[in-house]
Amino acid sequence: MNCNNKSIELMHKYLDGDLSKGEETTLRMHLEECEACQKHFHELKRTITLIQSAEHISAPADFTSAVMKKLPTEKKSMKYTR
Amino acid sequence: MDQIIREKIKQVKKGDQSAFEDVVSFFQNKIYQHCFRMLGNAHEAEDMAQEAFIRAYVNIHSFDDNRKFSTWLYRIATNLTIDRIRKRKPDYFLDAEIKGTEGLDMYSQLASKERLPDEEVESIDLQRYIHQEISELPPKYRSIIMLRYLEEFSLQEISDILDIPLGTVKTRIHRGREALRKRLRHV
Repeated sequence: MNCNNKSIELMHKYLDGDLSKGEETTLRMHLEECEACQKHFHELKRTITLIQSAEHISAPADFTSAVMKKLPTEKKSMKYTR
Repeated sequence: MDQIIREKIKQVKKGDQSAFEDVVSFFQNKIYQHCFRMLGNAHEAEDMAQEAFIRAYVNIHSFDDNRKFSTWLYRIATNLTIDRIRKRKPDYFLDAEIKGTEGLDMYSQLASKERLPDEEVESIDLQRYIHQEISELPPKYRSIIMLRYLEEFSLQEISDILDIPLGTVKTRIHRGREALRKRLRHV
């Protein structure tokens, strides 16, 4: 297998859940014998873990009320029904 | 939650503005965060996130109830941020840094209010570094990486949000992962 193309393509298919049974076997057998691809695969999986650990950011405290103030005014009929 | 949102949207369509407040409140952090990561600064992120909700409200009758509201909302927000990036002057980033001295840059926004033990500080530094690396990806890769791994949409949903073919989403997510792998392998 050409390490630089075919197996890397299979790794990405694996990450997207698109790998067929046959392809899975091909990839696994290749990874067992190719250290460079093992490393590449490990780095890809670790990258995803790292992305998912990026800091969560919250909206400013007054965000919702700021949006509500900017909305066009409600139809009069609705106000009377409340 | 989807069911509650669906009910709220029905009420908004009937003209009940207060129902929309619950919708904004529920999605505010997600949409703000999405805009922040796309744009890289708090000032524009707030503007664009507000605008996204306002547009959703104004155009609520064009929203198809059989679709997922979150997909529709992210689509509005993503289009707004991409438009904004396109319209930026080349020197925009310098301005953003100057504004940052007034406490509006992204690092002050990310700063925690409480003092933390050393190891947590270290992990926050790492989280920031990762955020930084994501935000340096070209927008077309960045949006997909964020939607997939931070906002946990499926590839099909991402294809709907961005209105691009599934095959293109896959090509871009592969390239985005490879680009980040190179940037993050030494972490």
